[in-house]
Amino acid sequence: MSTVQEVRCWRCAHQHQAMLFCPACQAIQLVPPQADYFSVLGLPRHPALDEKLLARRYYELSRQLHPDLYQTGTPQEQEASLNNTALLNRAYRTLRDAVPRGQYWLELHGEQLGKENNRVPPKLAALVFAVHEQLEEASATRAAGKADEAQAELGHIREDLHAQLSQLRAELASNFSQWSENETQPGLLQALKTTLSALAYLHTLLRDVEKESEASWNV
Amino acid sequence: MERIVGIDLGTTNSLIAFIDGDAPRVIADPLTGEKLLPSIVSFLEDGSNVVGQEAKARATEHPLTTIHSVKRFMGLGMSHVSEEDRLRYRFVETQGSGDGIVRFTLLGKFLTPPEVSALILRELKARAEASLQEPIKKVVITVPAYFNDSQRPATKDAGRLAGLDVVRLVNEPTAASLAYGLDQKEEGLIAVYDLGGGTFDISLLRLHTGIFEVLATNGDTRLGGDDMDLRIAERFVFPLLPTELRQDAQILRAALQAAEQAKKALSEAEETQVVLDVPARNVRATCTLSRRELEAAVEDIVMRTLGPCRQALKDAGLEPRDIEAVVLVGGSTRMPLVRQRIGAFFGQTPLTDLNPDEVVALGAAVQADTLSGRRRDMLLLDVVPLALGIETMGGVMSRLIERNTTIPTSVKEMYTTAVDNQTAVDVHVLQGERELVQDCRSLARFKIPIEPQPAGVPRVEMTFMIDANGILNVTATDIRTGRERSVEVKPSYGLTDEEIERLLEESIDFAEDDVSKRLLIEARTEADTVLNATDKALQQNATFLLAGEDIFIRSAMQDLKRAYEGDDYNLIRDVTEKLSEATTPFAQRIMDASIQDALGHKRLSEI
Ligand SMILES: [Zn+2]
Repeated sequence: MSTVQEVRCWRCAHQHQAMLFCPACQAIQLVPPQADYFSVLGLPRHPALDEKLLARRYYELSRQLHPDLYQTGTPQEQEASLNNTALLNRAYRTLRDAVPRGQYWLELHGEQLGKENNRVPPKLAALVFAVHEQLEEASATRAAGKADEAQAELGHIREDLHAQLSQLRAELASNFSQWSENETQPGLLQALKTTLSALAYLHTLLRDVEKESEASWNV
Repeated sequence: MERIVGIDLGTTNSLIAFIDGDAPRVIADPLTGEKLLPSIVSFLEDGSNVVGQEAKARATEHPLTTIHSVKRFMGLGMSHVSEEDRLRYRFVETQGSGDGIVRFTLLGKFLTPPEVSALILRELKARAEASLQEPIKKVVITVPAYFNDSQRPATKDAGRLAGLDVVRLVNEPTAASLAYGLDQKEEGLIAVYDLGGGTFDISLLRLHTGIFEVLATNGDTRLGGDDMDLRIAERFVFPLLPTELRQDAQILRAALQAAEQAKKALSEAEETQVVLDVPARNVRATCTLSRRELEAAVEDIVMRTLGPCRQALKDAGLEPRDIEAVVLVGGSTRMPLVRQRIGAFFGQTPLTDLNPDEVVALGAAVQADTLSGRRRDMLLLDVVPLALGIETMGGVMSRLIERNTTIPTSVKEMYTTAVDNQTAVDVHVLQGERELVQDCRSLARFKIPIEPQPAGVPRVEMTFMIDANGILNVTATDIRTGRERSVEVKPSYGLTDEEIERLLEESIDFAEDDVSKRLLIEARTEADTVLNATDKALQQNATFLLAGEDIFIRSAMQDLKRAYEGDDYNLIRDVTEKLSEATTPFAQRIMDASIQDALGHKRLSEI
């Protein structure tokens, strides 16, 4: 997947290694569809990335590729600009946050979170049970017309969930840092999957809390 | 380098601006010096139309043929038109269960909102051409950030119908941030609060090293100053009138105008007079309105803007105090109440040094300058306002692109079949934040033809691409053959390419036959209305008839019914007119009696 591919410039037919701009004639080149997000952003293929560098690359590349800059260009230039920018935007959105980045890393290794998402991860079982109970209480408080009290209760639940969230994110960061560049490590991959499932579940719980919170605001 | 100009096609007013040297400048009407063109179009009996101030002047006398705030109808279907709007204008009701694009009935013509908007654009184009002494072809048009993917193509269509090449649609708050950021050389987090005549947007941006990055946007495309005018009219003007006059298009139009004037006056004064004056109908009413009364009446409308503000902050992961500057855009932000509430929400005094009416047009001109290739020091990174998805089994919307995703963006989705020998795959594209298909806006439906094969064998890859205008394009690739085709996305509430072609041809060479057909339908519709009204009046108000008047009116009705059977629209019109004349004294007596009755004990300076 990461082997360097040779492509031909659409304008001058010069052969190059899938560069963004033709080294011979400077024309913008269509990024090959199989390019991975790390290479699109010119970053090492590794999940523990330098977020500041990522943002800087994103803005630099946007300034070179954006369709606004090719409005007066040829149809080929416009097509390349549009497709490359769409790919760049998707790559940046995926990589800038650790959770989608982790999911993408799974995909690159032929894995997916899939349906397991809906099952309660064992290590969250106690928390999930407690949160559901507290949510019901908050809902009852709201039904009793005490919206402010309900908001306070929801605030506590939110704190608990955020504490768990930080812990899982720390786990994720530690997992990322253990990967070595060019080999797949089955143990790490499995651990990554478990952490991501727990995170996904936690986000559903947080959404439930927000839903209840909005209902309270609208009393 | 070909010049590109910027257009703010607003609900209440429209403007056109260009880059003069280095700075953006709004082009004024060469005759009057006015920069704002009221977004009003009035249609005349002779088939012509007037736009702007002239149209505004005709509004009270010709309420049904003078279209205000046409922007509120862009990209909508008839099912989205409110009861209030049905009182204000006449529409072509769609046949059967179909929910087609909105069409106004205007003196024998059936016009869609893009066609009406095109007339406003033509006026702006003429203004710019007169001022710059060169033909104008390429434009950037601004749209509310929260405009969906049915309202956006409608705006582009309006441009095409005006003979313009719309090189880009730019979101209004983003355009405003350009004018603001370049003017102030600002860096950091800003909020643009844009409350116009008919739409509300809130956008949060990060400005850094010439990049204007939208972090989140939210809003309501049916919330604005128009709602306040209606509220003022309902609360303070209607109570002065007899009930039946409240349903009258002419009186309603005058009441809204009086409300708007009072609202504007109260941004400066503490107290003003609301004056409703329709000499043609012998109606005059006034009352005193204080700023405090006004604010109490519209407070909830202003507060409705805070929900989207909260949501946008949440989406961007920000707190109100993170915002370093709040920029106000749109005429409605002149209201002290709006400034006060927004100031309180963000915990800071909003910036008011830019003219809220002009800032969007100025920003559009700046973006036009970049697109023309003259400017390279700044770049806009904008987002989609609403999630985009497709219908899946059980009427559930499956999201493909989340809201606040930076554009352009694309996503691929693999399709196969559920039944053997299926010859096509149906795709229904939706936009909105809700889970169920019925709660989302239908954007388009289309079929991708496939070779008949056993279920699950065909593999079609669909690419949904949202371009820099925020407009959806779809391509389908048959994975087995590698054949790619671009799918024609038939908009649910839009004009097809053929319709636009036809309209463009018609505008050059109006087919006589077609016009006659339309005029006949229109004449018959009008005849129907008058016949029904007369019938009803004769039954309900017989006591107001003078001796012999009954027979006289009934014979005029007979004449009209005979003419109706033929296809001479001129004759139908004449006889309709005769019937109207025959019933005028009778109608006047009914009206006088009811006004006396209802207004006898009300605050009224005179009748
Ligand atoms: Zn080349």
